[in-house]
Amino acid sequence: MAKITYIEADGTSKTIDVADGWSLMQGAVANGVKGIVGECGGACACATCHCYVEEARLAEVGTADAGEQDMLDGVAAELKPNSRLSCQIKSSAKLDGLKLYLPATQG
Amino acid sequence: MLHFDPFSPVIDADPFPFYRRLREEAPCFWSPEAGMWILSRYSDIINALNDWQTYSSASGNMMTELPNRAGATLGTTDPPRHDRLRALVQYAFTKRGLEGLGDPMRAIARQAAAEVEAGKTLDFKDFSARFTIRTLMAALGLPTGDEAIVDEDTVREKAVLMVQSDPRTRAKGPEHIAAFEWMRDYAAKAIELRRAQPKNDLISNFAAAEIDGDKLDEREVLLTTTTLIMAGVESLGGFMMMFAYNLSSQPEVLKAVVDAPALLPDAIEESLRFNTSAQRFRRRLMKDTELYGQKLREGDFVCLAYGSGNRDDRQFPDAERYDLARKPRGHLGFGGGVHACLGTAVARMATKIAFEEFHKAFPKYTRVADQLAWMPSSTFRSPLSLELALH
Repeated sequence: MAKITYIEADGTSKTIDVADGWSLMQGAVANGVKGIVGECGGACACATCHCYVEEARLAEVGTADAGEQDMLDGVAAELKPNSRLSCQIKSSAKLDGLKLYLPATQG
Repeated sequence: MLHFDPFSPVIDADPFPFYRRLREEAPCFWSPEAGMWILSRYSDIINALNDWQTYSSASGNMMTELPNRAGATLGTTDPPRHDRLRALVQYAFTKRGLEGLGDPMRAIARQAAAEVEAGKTLDFKDFSARFTIRTLMAALGLPTGDEAIVDEDTVREKAVLMVQSDPRTRAKGPEHIAAFEWMRDYAAKAIELRRAQPKNDLISNFAAAEIDGDKLDEREVLLTTTTLIMAGVESLGGFMMMFAYNLSSQPEVLKAVVDAPALLPDAIEESLRFNTSAQRFRRRLMKDTELYGQKLREGDFVCLAYGSGNRDDRQFPDAERYDLARKPRGHLGFGGGVHACLGTAVARMATKIAFEEFHKAFPKYTRVADQLAWMPSSTFRSPLSLELALH
């Protein structure tokens, strides 16, 4: 279990307990976080769960694999070095307290 | 005494009252008739979908599996092999990969609407069947026109038959297995044709694809192609039937989407949640686990009742109501996790285009019959035909 804080583009935020093994996309859509869509259901196939990982903890979260990199090229908002697809990040205790910043649009 | 028999025609017709009891009284329920555990609450299904190490797909994902299919297709392999196999076909199914398909799809939809024999009534299946098979053949690159190996109706009929099961024997009957074998042979011929003369289509690319320098083995190419045809025809066709069922049962929703076609995506999304055709898939436990005080053993099969999770009030307030304004997120209409449906983008796009065109020809219709004949399948649910009265 990890407490994850999702911060919308307008600054509003929601902190959610995301169970181990759940993706951070699923934690968000199951709890009404507006800025994450997750159209494809979590298969890394749509780029509508784009988020920016808080930079200080980027190394802990890890980097995108080749398939995710490919999809990141298609995100609707600006692509930044800390861009990730939240369906590809699994919750675990080590991510407790993590902040995710959400883009203004998922396309 | 609570019963849940996914092979019963009663469940084919209306599983939702049973789901409600399962969710409330027995969220982890052993069904002796199915020989598997039934998970019915949204959160338990999501947990299982995310935990492929415990809930494996490698022993098959359909409630009644086809012989010798498990282990060779996307839906029936676990990571890491699954992820590599999926990466090979995924691009073709992304929005970017589908860009060129919109215009041909619209032409197909117009043609299919023009071909429907309509008097005072029509059978929606006549439209959805033609639209689905032609769209799929275009999307995958199956041989058509001068190249055609068989006529499109035959391909469609076999695809529909192979997902069914016999409600009496609770297994695939000889006719279902024969349809599967027919489809496998058909896929083999299509692959052979594309290998001899590759084109820029999904089957040509897939047949030549390699994983880490290794060519895919023949069984993977063959059974994955076979499954793509089956899933494409049956899932898209079944969903369109359910969508037409919802619209024809709710005049106010139909009027809203005909007056403002921009609302179609919202109506499609709510239908995916409310009663989509993909009702139940299965997994197999790789280790002992415990849920709600029940002890589940390694090797047990577990049914994930997506159709029930989608009606769970814990997740979707007032879940038994179809609400055009709901815009449901995270529904299980396409499953979820690493095995979430490959065809989400093409299914949404095809359904939207098909109904835009269908509504230009037939803007006002209602469902004729109260009681419908439902497909005998423990995995999918859709009516076999849907007669609409035109107004």
